[in-house]
Amino acid sequence: MKFTLIYPKWKKLRGQTEFHLPPHGPVVFAAALPKDIEIKFIDENLETIDFDDQADLIGISMMLTSQVKRGWEIADEYRKRGLPVICGGIATMLHAEETSLHADAVFLGEAEGRMEQVLDDFRNNQLRKIYDYLTDFPPIESVGIARRDILKRQLYNYKGIQMVDLFHASRGCRFDCYPCCVSYLGGRKFRPRPFEKVVEELAAIDNNRLYIVDNSLSQDRTWEKQLFTEMIPLKKKWCCHPIDDDDEVLDLAAQAGAWFVYQAIFDISDFIRNRVKRYHDFGIGVEGTILLGLDHHTEDFILRLIDFLLELELDLAEFTVLTPFPHTQAFEDLHGEGRILSYDWNDYTCDKVIFQPKQMSPERLQDLYDEAWKIFYREKPQPYRMFELFKKVIDKEMDDGSYRGEQRTQTKRKFGREKVPS
Amino acid sequence: MIEDLILKLRKEIIDQLQLEGISPEEVDPDAPLFGEGGLGLDSIDVLELVVLLDKNYGIKIRASKEGPKIFYSVKSIAEYIMNNQKK
Repeated sequence: MKFTLIYPKWKKLRGQTEFHLPPHGPVVFAAALPKDIEIKFIDENLETIDFDDQADLIGISMMLTSQVKRGWEIADEYRKRGLPVICGGIATMLHAEETSLHADAVFLGEAEGRMEQVLDDFRNNQLRKIYDYLTDFPPIESVGIARRDILKRQLYNYKGIQMVDLFHASRGCRFDCYPCCVSYLGGRKFRPRPFEKVVEELAAIDNNRLYIVDNSLSQDRTWEKQLFTEMIPLKKKWCCHPIDDDDEVLDLAAQAGAWFVYQAIFDISDFIRNRVKRYHDFGIGVEGTILLGLDHHTEDFILRLIDFLLELELDLAEFTVLTPFPHTQAFEDLHGEGRILSYDWNDYTCDKVIFQPKQMSPERLQDLYDEAWKIFYREKPQPYRMFELFKKVIDKEMDDGSYRGEQRTQTKRKFGREKVPS
Repeated sequence: MIEDLILKLRKEIIDQLQLEGISPEEVDPDAPLFGEGGLGLDSIDVLELVVLLDKNYGIKIRASKEGPKIFYSVKSIAEYIMNNQKK
């Protein structure tokens, strides 16, 4: 059976340097498909879809709310040609009802152990409109090695530098943060993958640089310590979400190749100051993630927060505007109070103010958002900060002999495209 | 003389960074290397500049607060070379 799996394009974050990482959801999903299925993967951010290409079944994998409208267009286009479409992925789960209007089937939940049945239904012309496994998680042991072989790796290469590969060591998250939908999607029970599977998959990835996409590694200290201990011999270098603030954990993380951490900077406090310093003390970089527009955010607070970021000596900063994704508390609150200004999912890019802020006008918050990027990167421009962070990983690799060098044949290409003359 | 060094540096930068569609004469020595209105260099280009300074001038650049000032423009790089190259 020929199965074409599409990853719809979306508008990237304004203000941030363009980058494209190899998608994670589609390769994890592909591992749940039976081995005899012939998969063709298309990342529309980097490739053009040929709607006339032959396939038996079309899969559309959507991670972001800002992908769904494009995903629906793609689904409509294929169905016009008589090709059946099944949609899945995080954003499909968040927008299940709307998505079902554009697809022959929607799959909600985690795919492991379920796709044989879905494909049997398809072969028997009995595809169900909805496969709802949203709260019915498969055994975590059944998560297979992600099928990175379906990716066209040269597309995820920038001037000879291979982008990080994405990897997950667990599912679920014990936290339930205000703007986040993970608890709705993956549940609040932390579900770690068996260490032997984690190590097997990590070792098989033909890339020394990774992004461990688990929502937070700070879930269970004993697990965290063992995870890092298991990872040390692999000599991978990686970025991730927060790590526990504990001497032993941070030391093991550094030994295991922690390169930098995405750390939410949510207030001006010694707690945050110390958190960033502690990572730096262990040689781990910090990319601050700063969410603007919460109800207590006054104009003065946001300006003071930006000054604070500069004091912290963050390696990088990424600014986003509060975005009320469906199935989050933020959506419930803002929708309930009639404060959402746009329900056009294409606007849900995290860089647009699409709600009425409590302390200022939407326009003022939008201006402050744009100012935040400018002020933070004024003295040290983004390319220079990225160079410094990149230099850190090269230095770490040089130290332990894992540096591979750049791919010289790719130096004139950016994400598969010829370099545009300056 | 710094003018001679700037001339040489412009050509070396174009070669090292594999910049296409631009001649050394078109590189404004005072224009910022990053962002709009200049060469629009990226992080990998900075890495290449660090390699260039080491290879051609024996100057090792460590990540430092001075980095963005050194790499502000072709002229600022030339000035840094003049002040730091071993005689």
